[in-house]
Amino acid sequence: MLSATERKPAPPTDAALMAHLLRRAGFGATRDQLDRYLKDGYEATVEALLNPPHSEPADQDLVDRYFIATVEARSPGHAVPHWAWRLATSEHPLEEKIALFWHGLLAVGGIKLDHGLEMLREIDLFRRHGLGPFRTLLVEISRDPGMMYWLDNQNSHKTAPNENYGRELLELFSMGIDRTGAGAYTEADVKAAARAFTGWAAKPTMPPFFLGPFDMEFIFDPADHDDGEKTFLGRTGNFNGDDIIDIIVEQDATARFVARRLYLFFVSDTPDEAEVERLAGVFRSSGGEIRAILRAIFLSDHFKSEALRFRKVKSPAELVWGVVRTVDRYRIPELDVCDLPAYSTYMGQMLLNPPSVEGWHEGEEWVDSGALIERVNFAVNELGRTDSPGVRRMIDSVKTSGRRLSPTALVDRCLDAMGALAVSERTRAILIDHAGRNGSLDTTSEEADDRVVELLQAIVATPDFQYC
Amino acid sequence: MGLTNFTYSHTIGLASFEGRGFMNPVDVRVNSKGVLYVLSRSNAQNKDVRVSVATLDSDYKFEFGRWGTDPGKLTMPTALVIDRQDRVYVADEHMHNVSVFAEDGKFISRWGEPGTGPGKLNRPAGLAFDSHGDLLVVDHLNARVQKFTPEGAFISSFGEFGSAAGQFNYPWGIALDNAGDIWIADWRNDRVQKFRPDGEFVAAFGRTGSKPGEFRRPSGLAIDDGGDIYVADWQNDRVQVFTPQMKPREVLNGDATLSKWCEEFLAVNPEQRDQRIASGIPGHEERFFWRPSAICTTSDGLVMVADSCRHRIQIYRRVRVPVTAP
Repeated sequence: MLSATERKPAPPTDAALMAHLLRRAGFGATRDQLDRYLKDGYEATVEALLNPPHSEPADQDLVDRYFIATVEARSPGHAVPHWAWRLATSEHPLEEKIALFWHGLLAVGGIKLDHGLEMLREIDLFRRHGLGPFRTLLVEISRDPGMMYWLDNQNSHKTAPNENYGRELLELFSMGIDRTGAGAYTEADVKAAARAFTGWAAKPTMPPFFLGPFDMEFIFDPADHDDGEKTFLGRTGNFNGDDIIDIIVEQDATARFVARRLYLFFVSDTPDEAEVERLAGVFRSSGGEIRAILRAIFLSDHFKSEALRFRKVKSPAELVWGVVRTVDRYRIPELDVCDLPAYSTYMGQMLLNPPSVEGWHEGEEWVDSGALIERVNFAVNELGRTDSPGVRRMIDSVKTSGRRLSPTALVDRCLDAMGALAVSERTRAILIDHAGRNGSLDTTSEEADDRVVELLQAIVATPDFQYC
Repeated sequence: MGLTNFTYSHTIGLASFEGRGFMNPVDVRVNSKGVLYVLSRSNAQNKDVRVSVATLDSDYKFEFGRWGTDPGKLTMPTALVIDRQDRVYVADEHMHNVSVFAEDGKFISRWGEPGTGPGKLNRPAGLAFDSHGDLLVVDHLNARVQKFTPEGAFISSFGEFGSAAGQFNYPWGIALDNAGDIWIADWRNDRVQKFRPDGEFVAAFGRTGSKPGEFRRPSGLAIDDGGDIYVADWQNDRVQVFTPQMKPREVLNGDATLSKWCEEFLAVNPEQRDQRIASGIPGHEERFFWRPSAICTTSDGLVMVADSCRHRIQIYRRVRVPVTAP
């Protein structure tokens, strides 16, 4: 991890800050996009990000036409090109980012569910409800047939409750446990929650093997529901699942858990306890609205501080789709959009298939020697595609910034062209030294394109580029 | 609602990654000997593309044109058509070319290269032969229809991008009527357009919607011997049939029963059979079209629909021969 003091003071403050926002609330932004956001201003951009229209993208029909198997996605592998395209091209990046966040927190694994259509519906559920009240999200996910199947709730009966969903709802989805494994709830609370969710299940599903998949359906069977009296977190009543969720979202532990997870995902891999507590307060005062917490994050001096920029290790998804968006690769759903999830998988994150109900372990754990090679190779290859419109624009931007560029100017122009990036002084010095091996750049020379591209590739190969 | 002009005949198909069965079939044709050719699109990443050959009574024969970019391979195939010599032509929108196979699947040749100039292709979609034996190719990202000799020599083209009469927006399917007039499924304009053989615009019908006579992304087209027009109304999951005067005649929503191959699959996979019964699906959703992409009519009154997302071909028989248009 690079220390804050190692970093070069960020250039043009507004652009650097906006770039920081877009890296965290999205997957980064091109220099052109940054300029458009800057015209709107920081606060207006935050509001726009927080309030996506939730409409189907205009090009969804084309995705369906070119990737027809995603329409009837029988498996996560068949489904994931659909999300890959949205991640690569969505004009509402926070909508996809919050879906990615909840996909890792309310994790359902494709290895068991193995129903691509249902996985895509869950991602869409996260888009629609991921920024709204946490209660609504929990109610929706508790009626999600994929989740019910994943956590065995179809096997939870009035006479024999299965505790899996009730336990994970408390431990991993809402209240959490501390380092000792203790939670702000007891084993009796888990059992009471499990009883409250009896009768909530996924309807038996048509096998997909011979006609493709059919929609999964949630069913509630009142005859199989335990409507007897239960005591849960100190309250007693004939609770059902919705009542349990109502009680959960009132808990301080829930406010702190959600605040902490949002902080870790959007702000820093290292939690600032005072800031987490402030965000927990926003959870309580807003009725648990995720949008309000994110607004409180993005508008805070804490988030805006230079000390927090480039402090988070990019997840594989952030790296892959961040690079693809930076180079602005796609105009239509080309065949190799289908390959993007595989690159993310090689780096350790298989979308639509979190490794367990715990989701992914984030932060420094993303990067080992094998993953690092994949990350660097992927980024270098993409920046080397001079037919990508974004790469072309970067080259042109650098070349039109002056007739002759010193190594220092060349490095700084490249960093700016890549979306107001910053690197540490040490890295910058190495890059300048590298760029200087061939002297100043005559931007009208035949070698200009190649030298700019080589430097763009060198930048994405630096340790600094692994952070957002 | 019952059918008026058609009866449901039977269904051929089973989802399969190779061998007997299909994977997202996007086109279907019958050769002069009554043999069925089905083009499976799959997702190219899943590499299950192929042309499957079978009889109309579900006797599976063989397959060819598996995934790849080498000669004789297909990557993102879009359409299939058969000439008078029973040679099979397949358009590929990833390789921007047309591959030609013998009726036994043996690769003969391929032609076409990417570009925007005359004779170049940018994602070829629908294919149809005219009465002279020349091949019309819907060159969909170039928003035009191009005519080639069977060997790939460019002859002519018409069309441009737009929504005005004679313009196209991501066109897909193509069919020719007995007069040689050309009908195009103008996919993103949600309409069907008719042209003279020389490309002169004649008429258009349809608009965006789900009522009779409206479309949501029409894909495949067919014209039967009586001049009736069949439109695969893709996003509406139905086939609309129109009179030669372009008036709605009937809507087909799908009537599939289990195919012979499905019956055989369930017979040897009893747990699948039981799971199917437990789901309560049989006899309801199972029968409907899901993204029908293409239609093929035959001179003996069969109407075959490539039911893309159910991996099958639904076959109808026309029972009332419509009055031929003047």
